[in-house]
Amino acid sequence: MELHIATRVFLALLGWSLLLQTLEFFRLLHLDRVGSWAIQREEVPPRPAWVRGVLDHAVEGPGYVLVLCLRLGLALTLMAGWVHLASAGLLFASSVLLLFRWRGAFNGGSDFMTLVAVSGLLIAQGVGHFTGNADMGWRAGLWYVTVYVVSSYFVSGWVKLLRPEWRNGRAMTIFLDGGVYGPLSPNSVYRHPFVARCVSWTFTVWEGCFPLALWDVRIAWFMCAVAPVFHFLVYWYFGLNRFFWAWLVTYPAVLYCALGS
Amino acid sequence: MYRDVLLQAIRVCPLDGRDARLGTVDFTALLILAYFALLFVTLLWSSRVIQGPWLFFLRAFFPNWKFFHAVGHVPHVYVRGQAGGVWTDWHLVYPRVPRRWHHVFHNPAVNLALSHQNLVDHLASDLNALPDGADASQLATYRLVTRLAHQAIRGDTWGDTPMIAEPVPVVDHFQFELRMELPTTAHHELMLQSPVMAVWS
Repeated sequence: MELHIATRVFLALLGWSLLLQTLEFFRLLHLDRVGSWAIQREEVPPRPAWVRGVLDHAVEGPGYVLVLCLRLGLALTLMAGWVHLASAGLLFASSVLLLFRWRGAFNGGSDFMTLVAVSGLLIAQGVGHFTGNADMGWRAGLWYVTVYVVSSYFVSGWVKLLRPEWRNGRAMTIFLDGGVYGPLSPNSVYRHPFVARCVSWTFTVWEGCFPLALWDVRIAWFMCAVAPVFHFLVYWYFGLNRFFWAWLVTYPAVLYCALGS
Repeated sequence: MYRDVLLQAIRVCPLDGRDARLGTVDFTALLILAYFALLFVTLLWSSRVIQGPWLFFLRAFFPNWKFFHAVGHVPHVYVRGQAGGVWTDWHLVYPRVPRRWHHVFHNPAVNLALSHQNLVDHLASDLNALPDGADASQLATYRLVTRLAHQAIRGDTWGDTPMIAEPVPVVDHFQFELRMELPTTAHHELMLQSPVMAVWS
């Protein structure tokens, strides 16, 4: 994939993913009656004192709404293909604030991967700015994202393949039963041990082999074509819609960095 | 000066231009192979978990990518209420929400529910790390889960879905338990039982 296409698609997808996440955060202002900054702030280390002071203003009340509005605006500019070192820095800063607001993560892995993409964007803009070579900056940023996303599949796949309950398919049925849209119906096809074993092996081997995407761009295209189906199924059973978009953002980077592209 | 150092660093790494990249393809492949071999080795060793308050908040910078990897005990919150001196049954507070096609774009209620279950996981982890005789009620996770139990027994919802599946009468006091349950079995271990608390407005 050409660099200018990869960066343009990366920006559009990152903007879209951030837009969806931010709209959910706006809705949560009314839905969440459990979270309490008065309690949560006590978990923040007291030194240096200014950190709590900044957070008190930035993660609750009007300050938090302002942070969300800023993030919404930045997401729209990314979708339009406009980015600058300052906007990438603001996006990164707002991401760190959100980590504190949600005790380190609101939605686990999707927050982690979104932060990887935002960090990649900041690296791209920073390196481009300080070297005077925007292309070089983008190469650095896209490689940063690629290393993380390929590692995520590799670790996620092998950590399962090393466990007997995943190799025999039992773990998949148990986790699907615990899913937010679960449990599986009594006659679900996934309850058949042979089917569960086949499905488990199929996607864990696919995940574990994801680094092969870097070997050849044709493999990269195959891996990146299968990935949305995998993430859609994860959404379908576990409700993890943010994972779907957060990982989709990273595929232009993988396709660019694959050898022979 | 910094610019020269940075340029030099980028020149020697395999990111410098398409032509240069093709020229160093063997070296790049070797680096990639070594990296993933090392990553695989780390999966075989159980390393010490590094903890700390800053690391807790900033753990997104050090993801381990181990999703759904092990089957084991799962912490669940159960809550019961008291109305006129009579206790209700214990009710499980666990997200079960109907699926909608548009959730792939906008799913705040489900994500909130998942974050609440995550909070319960953190409480279990905090209790495990608590020294003998320490007061759990001072934990932020304990106080937040107390709020979760309170909202649940008051009939609060995740979007349109009640936090407790069964209808619950109006209560004036409540109590919650944290139970460690093993999937597919009825066996559970009681990890914590809260004192009886008055419902607040």
